[in-house]
Amino acid sequence: MRKLLTLVYKDFLILIRDKAGLALLYLMPLALVALMAYLQNDTFKAILDNKMALVVLDQDHDNVGASVVESLEQSGLFTITRADSTATPETVETDVAKGYFQLGIVIPASTTDNIRNGIGKSVQYTFSPEGEQPQAQTVHLTIFVDPTTKNSFLASLTSTMREQMASVQTQILLKEVSQQIQAMSPMPIGDVVLPEKLIELDERTARMDASRLIPNAVQHNVPAWGMFAVFFIVVSLASNIIREREEGSYTRLRTMPMPYSYYLFSKVIVYLVICMTQIALMGLMGKVVLPMLGLPSLSFGNSWIGLLAVSLSASLAAIGYGIAIGQVAKTAQQASIFGSISVVILSALGGIWIPMFVMPHAMQIVCRLSPLNWGLTGYYNLLLRGGGLSSVLPQCATLLLFATVCVASAIAYDKWKREDI
Amino acid sequence: MTAIKIEHLYKTYRGTDKPAVDDLSLKVDDGEFFGLLGANGAGKTTTLSILCGLRHYTQGRVEVAGKDVARQMDAIRPLIGVVPQEYALYPELTAAENLKVFGGIYGIGKSDLKQRIDELAETLNVADQMSQRIGHLSGGQKRRFNLMAGLLHQPKILFLDEPTVGIDVKSQQTIIDYLRQLHQQGTTIIYTSHLMQEAESLCTRVAIMNQGRLVAAGAPCQLLEQHQATSLHDLCLTLIS
Repeated sequence: MRKLLTLVYKDFLILIRDKAGLALLYLMPLALVALMAYLQNDTFKAILDNKMALVVLDQDHDNVGASVVESLEQSGLFTITRADSTATPETVETDVAKGYFQLGIVIPASTTDNIRNGIGKSVQYTFSPEGEQPQAQTVHLTIFVDPTTKNSFLASLTSTMREQMASVQTQILLKEVSQQIQAMSPMPIGDVVLPEKLIELDERTARMDASRLIPNAVQHNVPAWGMFAVFFIVVSLASNIIREREEGSYTRLRTMPMPYSYYLFSKVIVYLVICMTQIALMGLMGKVVLPMLGLPSLSFGNSWIGLLAVSLSASLAAIGYGIAIGQVAKTAQQASIFGSISVVILSALGGIWIPMFVMPHAMQIVCRLSPLNWGLTGYYNLLLRGGGLSSVLPQCATLLLFATVCVASAIAYDKWKREDI
Repeated sequence: MTAIKIEHLYKTYRGTDKPAVDDLSLKVDDGEFFGLLGANGAGKTTTLSILCGLRHYTQGRVEVAGKDVARQMDAIRPLIGVVPQEYALYPELTAAENLKVFGGIYGIGKSDLKQRIDELAETLNVADQMSQRIGHLSGGQKRRFNLMAGLLHQPKILFLDEPTVGIDVKSQQTIIDYLRQLHQQGTTIIYTSHLMQEAESLCTRVAIMNQGRLVAAGAPCQLLEQHQATSLHDLCLTLIS
């Protein structure tokens, strides 16, 4: 045990003597998380609060106008501006053409009255069919559309409006029918009234509990750059291993009465401390510093054990990867270049730079090959979906398997090399 | 007692046909100062690495302190001290920290280690450099600390790979004097060098290797007489050519 502690002490001393390397390990990811969260905040907001600007000119001032505006407001898809009394259909069209609004709706005067008259005449004809069947006057509502408006928004708008128009027509029809029946009936009867909503679409976001945690720039960037920071230790760790080999101290250690596992364990212990403190600092950054920059505060979810499990597994995966690179690379420069480039590529693939949910479907599948993505998905399960330890066990198992494969490969390669060199 | 016993040792590196060590057999007795000499590529460093357990061998039998290198390396390691050709020290750490680390791994108690470090530092004239980082020391000082690190646990058998290469005369003399002292105290020393004059003055017996094969072995004076050479340097040149 004393031998292991001595090795840990040695590795710890070497690490803290390298001030520039230490600064790179801690300050770079902290700066990156602050910068990226700040830069991406508006983009994330745009994704989350993606509302279209809509102007409504309601010249009807009756049921149709009120009900259409109310339902559009309830849809949550539009930022609605009501045109003032001086506005005309032409000014609405101009405003949309100039790009002030993506959509404009004109509900002409007497729309409700025209519908009411049309339905009233039809109902009267049905109860007393004399003469010619009356022709109803078609009501025209106008929608002005900015050419850049997505078809999906336009479809939402037209379907909402059609639904409301149908609802208003039904209400008027029922009222007219009720009046006709009341006039014919010897007994007093009331109006037919439909319940407000007979069918309701219950739309829910698939999450592990009912909490309304919404991913934002902080909740993506803190765990994402935390993963990047943890994996970036491979550069320091691999260089440390190679320098030891180049300087000959590794040769001396191998001739000393000490198991090889102690050599590896000392690296694991020292770099595990580094990784865990990096993650803790990133968490603190998300909780305390980023809100000071006007960004949302980081929510840690419901499971500290889950967070600890993901953090430990990801750290061990990174350490395993660093040990493997340190064993296979021939020079510190080679390890440094390969280590940093591979981590940048794995992070890009893993959805660190650009979140996975905005990537094309094919890339989302490729993403799952990156160990950084396994860690990030684990954090997403905890921070965004409110999951517990069980929700991150698959990710932890994959990360630990990756660590084991890396370390086993490093040991096998070292043994193979010693048999020959 | 036999400190080292090598029987028909072969070592062939992967991808080559020619063995780096070719049917080498030799014995080194306890307390001997044994020189393994030869030109670059003769196979002396490979042989030394096999004796220290750093490399596997292809064929043969190797014993150190009566124990089989292939199967009992764990029992051999506490008995041997190795001084590699490189400065096998951590340049970021001070000399004292380096020695404490290596002493700790040898399992030497704190007070014993301090006493041993002070004693060695005094003998090798580096007591004033103990608090300096290895990276800031001269080549000669580094060589002396390199030697100290291999001697902390007072090994029975000491392996030295070119211990005085590339250093100033004063440091070289300090190291040579201390090696003589160690030899007188009974430590078995196995030493490789291409400095023939140094080997001639230090070694009780030498083995000259060429292209992995043993070409001559014996006491330096005996070999000189046998081959009618005036120095080990000339003898080596004759045997190698």
